[in-house]
Amino acid sequence: MSVERILPAPDADSKPFWDGCREHRLKFQQCAECGEVRWPPSILCPRCHSQDTRWIEASGRGVIYTFAVYHQAFHPAFKDKLPYVVAVVKLDEGPMLLTNIVGRPPESLACEMPVQVEWDDISEEYSLPKFRPI
Amino acid sequence: MVISYGHSGLWGGGMRQLLFNTRPSEAAFGHFGAVGRYALAARRGMHAFSRGPETWKHIAMGQRKWANLNPAAIMHAKPMSEEDYYGAPLVVDPFRLFDNCQMNDGGQAIIVTSAERARDLKHRPALIMGLGLDNPCNEIAQAQYTAGPTGAKKASQAALNMAGISLADVDACQIYDCFTYTVELTLQDYGFFGYGEGEDWFKGGTIEPGGRMPVNTSGGQLSEAYFMGLTPISEAVMQLMGRCGPRQLGPATQTKEPEIILCSDNGGTLQSHACLIFRRG
Repeated sequence: MSVERILPAPDADSKPFWDGCREHRLKFQQCAECGEVRWPPSILCPRCHSQDTRWIEASGRGVIYTFAVYHQAFHPAFKDKLPYVVAVVKLDEGPMLLTNIVGRPPESLACEMPVQVEWDDISEEYSLPKFRPI
Repeated sequence: MVISYGHSGLWGGGMRQLLFNTRPSEAAFGHFGAVGRYALAARRGMHAFSRGPETWKHIAMGQRKWANLNPAAIMHAKPMSEEDYYGAPLVVDPFRLFDNCQMNDGGQAIIVTSAERARDLKHRPALIMGLGLDNPCNEIAQAQYTAGPTGAKKASQAALNMAGISLADVDACQIYDCFTYTVELTLQDYGFFGYGEGEDWFKGGTIEPGGRMPVNTSGGQLSEAYFMGLTPISEAVMQLMGRCGPRQLGPATQTKEPEIILCSDNGGTLQSHACLIFRRG
């Protein structure tokens, strides 16, 4: 029996991000006043409170800020993926993104390791930005 | 005023929902609940301090020794050796099983009243000397302080200022211990030891019965029971009242008789912090 995957649930603020992911483009809001690139999306800049916002496409490069290795599945959809790595990646543009690290054994990972985005198409509608050490 | 906490955490499901029904945008990556979030914080701590389980084992084992003196503790009859600590399964690495607090059925309560009214009560009261709060961050993934300083630093400075004391006046601590790492980071932010010097400070039984700075003398949330902020606060008050039996601070446990006990509470993932200081009435 297959277990249903957990899909992201975009809201009005984060929809452009997830729409970008479907096209394999990593998009973030940037404040048009002060230049702050922010995550999660919101109607105003957390630094200068300006509502003047544009979307930019990020390079997809960053470093591992921190990571954790799941040895227990808290949901049936992840049972056959153990052990897997959840991480916070600090992107070159600034935002810290919760994600997975793929392509390397967990014991070889370290904080500050450089990584590059890699797309995981989990359904017709959703692609998850995951990261691979470079 | 009664402050109470009661919960059927094991059987009721409410706590599970609180901890595990997380945001779909995180769950899509397999990220669930408190243990995953604190594991991320703890890994950053390991990166910053070049230490991790070497420090945390002293916390898990030290608190277990207190629980072994506390008949009400869930882990009362279960000693923990270093082999037990390292041999326990990894839950979310870097956390092994005994780095995690428990989930329990039960409750605790404290009564708050004026010092004047308390004088007529049966038990000698504990007096509130100082309080401090600091809530540094709303969005934990964006936080870059997960190896400290957290809100614990400002909150403790405010509480110590209000109490008019320094850390040197503190006889024991009751620290919110959802995970071992929380205890390390809180005591570090309070200033008991320098940045990354936790292992040296904890080793040799510092926080255990007979130690120079007893911590979580009921066994804490790791080894007594998890009743949110009530676990540390009720233990501080009970110790100052002298109602702790075999685990009572003082001659019974070869520790200093307590005049002043410092407590912490912590919310979210190191996102909010309260520090409370109590004195014997």
